[in-house]
Amino acid sequence: MSCVTTQDRAVAINPTRSCAPIGAMLANYGIHGAITINHGSQGCATYPRHQMARHFREPVEVASTSLTEKTTVYGGKNNLLSALKNIWERFNPTMIMVCSTCLSETIGDDIPGIIDEFKDNNPEITIPILSVKTPSYIGNHATGFDNFLKEIANNLPDRRKKKGETNGKINIIPGWVNPGDIRELKHIVREMALHAIWLTDYSETLDGGYYEPRPHFARGGTTIEELQSSSKSIATIALQRHIGGDAAHIYERRHNVPAHILPMPIGLENTDAFVDTLTEITDHTVPEILQVERARLLDALVDTHMFTSGLRVALFGDPDILEGLTSLVVEMGMTPAYILTASESKPWAEHMVEVTQELGVESEIIIKSDLHELHKRIKAKPVDLLIGHSKGKFIADAEKIPLVRVGFPVEDRFGYHRRSIVGYNGAISLVDEITNIVFERRATGVVSNTLLELGVEGPSTMPLLIPNGNGNGKH
Amino acid sequence: MKLKCNATLPDRALHIALKTSEGGCRRGDGTDCFIASNSATTPGDMTERGCTYAGCRGVVGGPVKDAIQLTHGPIGCAFFSWGYRPHLADSDFHMKYTFVSDMNETNIVFGGEKKLLQSIIEANREFPEAKAVFVYNTCSTALIGDDGRDVAKQAEEMIGKPVVFFECEGFKGVSQSMGHHVGNETIFRQLVGSAEPEGDFSRTINIVGDYNIKNDLRTFEYLFEALGLKIITRFTGNVGVDELRIMHKAALNVVHCQRSATYIADMMQEKYGTPYINVTLWGIKHMAQALRDTAAFFGLEAQAEAVIANELAKLQPKIDYYRERLQGKTVFIYQGGPRAWHWIELLRELGMKTITVATTFGHEDDYEKIFEQIDAGGMMIDNPNVPELEEILTHRRPDLFISGNKEKYVAYKLGVPFVNGHTYDTGPYAGFSGMVNFARDIDKAIHAPIWATLKRKARPAPAAHHTSHGFAHGFEGAD
Repeated sequence: MSCVTTQDRAVAINPTRSCAPIGAMLANYGIHGAITINHGSQGCATYPRHQMARHFREPVEVASTSLTEKTTVYGGKNNLLSALKNIWERFNPTMIMVCSTCLSETIGDDIPGIIDEFKDNNPEITIPILSVKTPSYIGNHATGFDNFLKEIANNLPDRRKKKGETNGKINIIPGWVNPGDIRELKHIVREMALHAIWLTDYSETLDGGYYEPRPHFARGGTTIEELQSSSKSIATIALQRHIGGDAAHIYERRHNVPAHILPMPIGLENTDAFVDTLTEITDHTVPEILQVERARLLDALVDTHMFTSGLRVALFGDPDILEGLTSLVVEMGMTPAYILTASESKPWAEHMVEVTQELGVESEIIIKSDLHELHKRIKAKPVDLLIGHSKGKFIADAEKIPLVRVGFPVEDRFGYHRRSIVGYNGAISLVDEITNIVFERRATGVVSNTLLELGVEGPSTMPLLIPNGNGNGKH
Repeated sequence: MKLKCNATLPDRALHIALKTSEGGCRRGDGTDCFIASNSATTPGDMTERGCTYAGCRGVVGGPVKDAIQLTHGPIGCAFFSWGYRPHLADSDFHMKYTFVSDMNETNIVFGGEKKLLQSIIEANREFPEAKAVFVYNTCSTALIGDDGRDVAKQAEEMIGKPVVFFECEGFKGVSQSMGHHVGNETIFRQLVGSAEPEGDFSRTINIVGDYNIKNDLRTFEYLFEALGLKIITRFTGNVGVDELRIMHKAALNVVHCQRSATYIADMMQEKYGTPYINVTLWGIKHMAQALRDTAAFFGLEAQAEAVIANELAKLQPKIDYYRERLQGKTVFIYQGGPRAWHWIELLRELGMKTITVATTFGHEDDYEKIFEQIDAGGMMIDNPNVPELEEILTHRRPDLFISGNKEKYVAYKLGVPFVNGHTYDTGPYAGFSGMVNFARDIDKAIHAPIWATLKRKARPAPAAHHTSHGFAHGFEGAD
């Protein structure tokens, strides 16, 4: 049976997570014409911008209230008021989101109060101005994204809804994914002949084209009108439990929109769950094209199973992507030996024990942990493959284990933000990538560490490569 | 000089100035006053500036290769400052690892000193081979009043190696420039002079203010060594704690970055009487001058001329090749500070003309040097923000924009050729040989066929109802 462990160090060494403001900034990029003001030190805006620019390779613009020593003593109110005014006058945005920081939370600035004062002084400004709490010392990057969605669900949907009134659409909350993932989800919804409101949609704002002239706001993103109409949707589907799950429940509570909280649709089982939910909440059936894609994924799993079965993999990242990946790697016959996250959620860890038990694998689920801890585990008991974001490269390099890059950030490769790992097509591309990596490794004569550990397979006695020298069989 | 995007921000005019045809300074507010700099950013203007922590952890402390780089604060500051700045060394511990005391809400309420002490001890236990622990303070831990200095002292006794505490909380200054100052001051106070090796140091120098971005040091170290000089300490690039401790033994400080590192040269001059010279280690003229000035101090003039002649013989044909291809091209340089003026001459040597110069955190002396070097009609802009950059790139239309990673994609979206001057496209760019790399990257950027393709092939953005946001539009509008 799988076990749950935590890390007992106070110091974090090579964390897998970053902090809350970047989550809110990313989510806000999915709203057409919306601008973020980060209320804090300049670094709190500039560091996340830089990180996002390295991942998405797009211009990322976030305003800062540029708090300094003086404003820290007297409070940041005047800076925030003037930032709101400057952003409004210079950019004419459709919405402004103000996210807090360690600094503004610790000095106790009342951001909602300051926003109210700004609105009172400027009655002509009618765009939504949201306040999202994102101090770095609470939760992590996912918390910022989730808090943003909760604020959206609480503040933007139209409250005047006649009994039975509906827009016929489905609210879909993809969670922390890539532009390519959102496009794949859109493809599924489109093929199902359904209509969705995406909370939120940065599939084009953070993966835009080259246009002459450059549009004032990046194309794409969910519009404010759509968000307002989202209270009239027929259902809300959250595709990550920890990002958007609460927001979906707010829709259910406040607007009577039923909530469906699903695992991230990575792999066959999880994508089926998403597609089945779409058929259950509407009277639409699964179209031919999705049936074909599904069959193609099954075919890929059949074609590759001899290369992937029995491999030990280490997964690291955020809880939702880990749950999705666990399902896929087990479908490929691999063992998720370590499932490591920085999240402290015990309920999630227990849920993962059940998930792995149902899937018939034994894993160590490590919560509240960091990459240095993972490195130590791998040194003690090696794995064949690492799956996670770019920061895993230090382990991969040191231990000569291939790293399959998924999640955020992927800053040392090109174009990962526009590929998809969700849906049937996303699963196929991951199966292909993982299998190809195994092909490259096989050339070096490495066999499954899982089978080695069980003692049922020794190191291959027949060298795949003929060694140099006299070839006396020792290797 | 008024920018349209600043219609509602009149104060920004004080940070923009033109050099008139008479050689005077005409500021954006219509006066002849000099450009304003090193002052607080206008809130919400979309500044590119970072924080004091970034200047200290990212620039000055971060390159020290055998120190544990421990952030005292919440996770984000440590995550974002980890491993992206290519301040290389002959080992990569400082690039591969980041440490953080990981303040959570309870720590913020009840104080983080205990956790900091424990973090230092644990980090040292995990990596006992590290020579010191560098602890960087952040906004939240400064605000709750953690006495990090005291914790560092306690820890130092317990682990028996230096624990250097940087008071570089993000809000401290108006830009990352304050962080450089804190970094200099702290390293000077806590490390420099803490070891006294024996030996003859009469022909030794420190290279001060080079951060070994993509191995810049490799392009000029050998030139100084060819003069018969030994480099004791590189402040800070490819440098170990032990070298910082004996930095005061050198006979001369050769100061390259005169914004982020003059502080330590001044402090060493005052305390140890170490003289320093200011140099520029980019471009033919400046690099040669740096060697001549350094050699003059030691009476090695003849050696310097031989070294320079030898290098130029190798270099000149390559530079001539690029000069021909780049002749007359215009440039907008936007760097953190001194690189903006270091490169005007280098670009002139390549036949290029710098028409706009901006810095993120330059002080008045930086702008004086820029002003001196640019031609009439040249524009200076202090702490530019995103709309200003867009307007300049669109309306002054330089043939090349030299800036950093964040600005790169703005330039690309506007179809302007770009070279990354912060972390380099290929690099290194310093010294004589690095200049060829720089010229090659500039040439590659300017002459890439994509710019002509864009001119011929780019189209306006399709009307919004064809977008896929809110799937209904895309579906019903599909053709």
